[in-house]
Amino acid sequence: MNFQKKHCVAMLLAGGQGSRLMVLTENTAKPAVPFGGKYRIIDFPLSNCVNSGINTVGILTQYQPLELNEYIGNGQPWGLNRSHGGVQVLPPYARSKKSEWYKGTANAIYQNIGFIERYDPENVLILSGDHIYRMDYAAMLRFHTEKNADCTIAVRKVPMEEASRFGIMNTNDDGSIYEFEEKPKKPKSNNASMGIYIFKWSVLKKFLIADEEDPKSQNDFGKNVIPAILNAGHKLYAYAFQGYWKDVGTISSLWEANMELLGENPEFDIYGDSKQKIYARNYAMPSSYIDRSAQISNSFIAEGCEVFGTVTHSIISTGCTVEKDVVVEDSVIMPNVTIESGAIIRHAIVGEGCKVCHNAIIGGRFAPEETKEISVIGKDKVVEENQVIKPGEIC
Amino acid sequence: MKMMGIIFANIYDSSLGQLTNKRTMASLPFGGRYRQIDFCLSNMANSGMDHIGIITRFNYQSLMNHIGSAQEWDLELGEGKLEFLTPFSMGHNGSYRGKLDALNSAMIFLQLATEEYVVLADSGVLCAIDYRKVLDEHIASGRDVTVITKAGISNGEKQLDLAVLLDEEGKVKDMAVDYAADERYLASMGAFIMKREKLIEAVRESVARSLYHLERDFILRSFYKGELNVGVYQFQNVALFNESPEEYYQSNLALLDSKVRHSLFRSGNTIYTKVRNEVPANFGENAQIDNCIVGDGCVLDGKAEHSVLFRGVDLHKGASVKDCVIMQDAVIEEGAELEYCVLDKLVHVTKGAKLRGMPNHPVIVERGETV
Repeated sequence: MNFQKKHCVAMLLAGGQGSRLMVLTENTAKPAVPFGGKYRIIDFPLSNCVNSGINTVGILTQYQPLELNEYIGNGQPWGLNRSHGGVQVLPPYARSKKSEWYKGTANAIYQNIGFIERYDPENVLILSGDHIYRMDYAAMLRFHTEKNADCTIAVRKVPMEEASRFGIMNTNDDGSIYEFEEKPKKPKSNNASMGIYIFKWSVLKKFLIADEEDPKSQNDFGKNVIPAILNAGHKLYAYAFQGYWKDVGTISSLWEANMELLGENPEFDIYGDSKQKIYARNYAMPSSYIDRSAQISNSFIAEGCEVFGTVTHSIISTGCTVEKDVVVEDSVIMPNVTIESGAIIRHAIVGEGCKVCHNAIIGGRFAPEETKEISVIGKDKVVEENQVIKPGEIC
Repeated sequence: MKMMGIIFANIYDSSLGQLTNKRTMASLPFGGRYRQIDFCLSNMANSGMDHIGIITRFNYQSLMNHIGSAQEWDLELGEGKLEFLTPFSMGHNGSYRGKLDALNSAMIFLQLATEEYVVLADSGVLCAIDYRKVLDEHIASGRDVTVITKAGISNGEKQLDLAVLLDEEGKVKDMAVDYAADERYLASMGAFIMKREKLIEAVRESVARSLYHLERDFILRSFYKGELNVGVYQFQNVALFNESPEEYYQSNLALLDSKVRHSLFRSGNTIYTKVRNEVPANFGENAQIDNCIVGDGCVLDGKAEHSVLFRGVDLHKGASVKDCVIMQDAVIEEGAELEYCVLDKLVHVTKGAKLRGMPNHPVIVERGETV
């Protein structure tokens, strides 16, 4: 087919298992994990794409894709239901010669060279499906084009003492990268990669093919492809990003990121301006009912809820019921949870569709300096009457 | 599908005063996030109907914006699907006198349809109803016209469009139009089922005799002439009649009653509406929200009691709202006190402003006003 050329196509890596989210990703891909009351993690990169004018997005799925596929659907909630471009879910598929799962991030893109070529793009934007942030990719693309870079990597400053946990970009004064170190013991700088890359497609394609032919490669962007492009003398630039960004790949970071939405001056201002809206698939639920007996402060309450209990510093997602004499504190309650009267939930994440029966106790209180151990209840679980789930317990 | 639908978007416009100055009855916001038409449109979609005509007279811009491509209802716009029957498309200047006049202008739409039955519905009566059940009863009874009715609405004061009195056997004994009937009468919910051919015939015959009022000139007249077998379907669940500003105000507050709420939203149906992509409601440190409906996108740091707060209401610290219906995107500043008020969309209540209506006469503030 004769398609109109696209300036930039985005490829969103959504196939990871997210095993560090434990029970929350038992039957769900990480990007489909609920966030912030009415969103799912993937809404953030997807909305960023749309708000940045990128209207062709391939979503690479592999692990437990059912829920994610259904959620993405035809892409209509994000305005990505287009006749040319739009959103496409790209699972691994059987081929005539060789069929295989996505072996790594680079291999996932390699296997979809055909998809990308259909749009004949100048550039390809590689994104992860497990980060919470708001970013104008168009600005990064302008930077990439102005520098005539072969590859541009978004970086943010991290505290020097934490730098050894990240992929670190060592740059010259003009932002060009002279060295890339994956989790260096003695970091030379604190420019941490955010896992957001823009490549010139002609360059990336060449290196993806070469990477595939190398049997020793782990087919990973950070470990193999980017070092190879750098070593071949291509122009790599670091694009400095200032705003909020959070990898929500662990229980504690997922909990923290939810909590960082709250308060008068939240760390992450989810409102943004009208051009930076975060879009989500909306379910038709009535507005929430807040009873006389309810006491809610410093919290998000999404639609379709009925609240009769006390909710402090928490996120209550769509379709939840919080009965009388319930206490929810410092917790994330995912969609469609029922919390029966007398239950107490503190420092916890309660998964989608759970039922917390009368007088159950989940989690506990912590002194301000104490490490918070988050209790987690997986999707569709029932916490029995009077059952006690200890701080840090995951079930 | 054997049934098609027709929705009248402008009925009672004039009786709702300022609230329908710039919009149709059908697009009047309701219950925190809805427009009135969401109810009958969702009922039709939930009943498996996909051919629906919306008859509009004027001010239908906001209604068309709201419906958009109708994807939220899983409906499609187009011929034989969801169609807007605007005065212009009907070769009409919008000055029709009654529903029969309006239907006469939509004659081609009715004639081209293939469905055997037609449901006529007013957008001003809100309920969750399965029209398939009404159709089953209608067919089983062998009647010409079934009027969907509700008991307990008539009170000797409220003017009913069509009041129906049944005898002990459930047969229609008396009918009256525009009548403040006593408690024995059932109130028509402005919804009817009949064969499409029957409706076409009724429209043609009535309009030819300069008769235009559906209830009076067709149903009542033909019934008394013995030409029409009329019966009622008695709807058992909650039905909210919004035919005056006072009723509109009371109906909104009625949602605070869980029986009403659950009958409308949790009786196995779904009421669809346009998506607005708001963030969840944000309750601040000082929020004191008692017995309220709260829409997405609200930022609440003040006090609200026994009220409906639509999407995007900004209630500042130190502001207080009681017995109010506050539509989308209102800003209520510190020290403001509102009691028995209906605020239309985008109203700004400045610091310290005080407004107080009466329970049966709420103060109505027009769209976009600053108080």
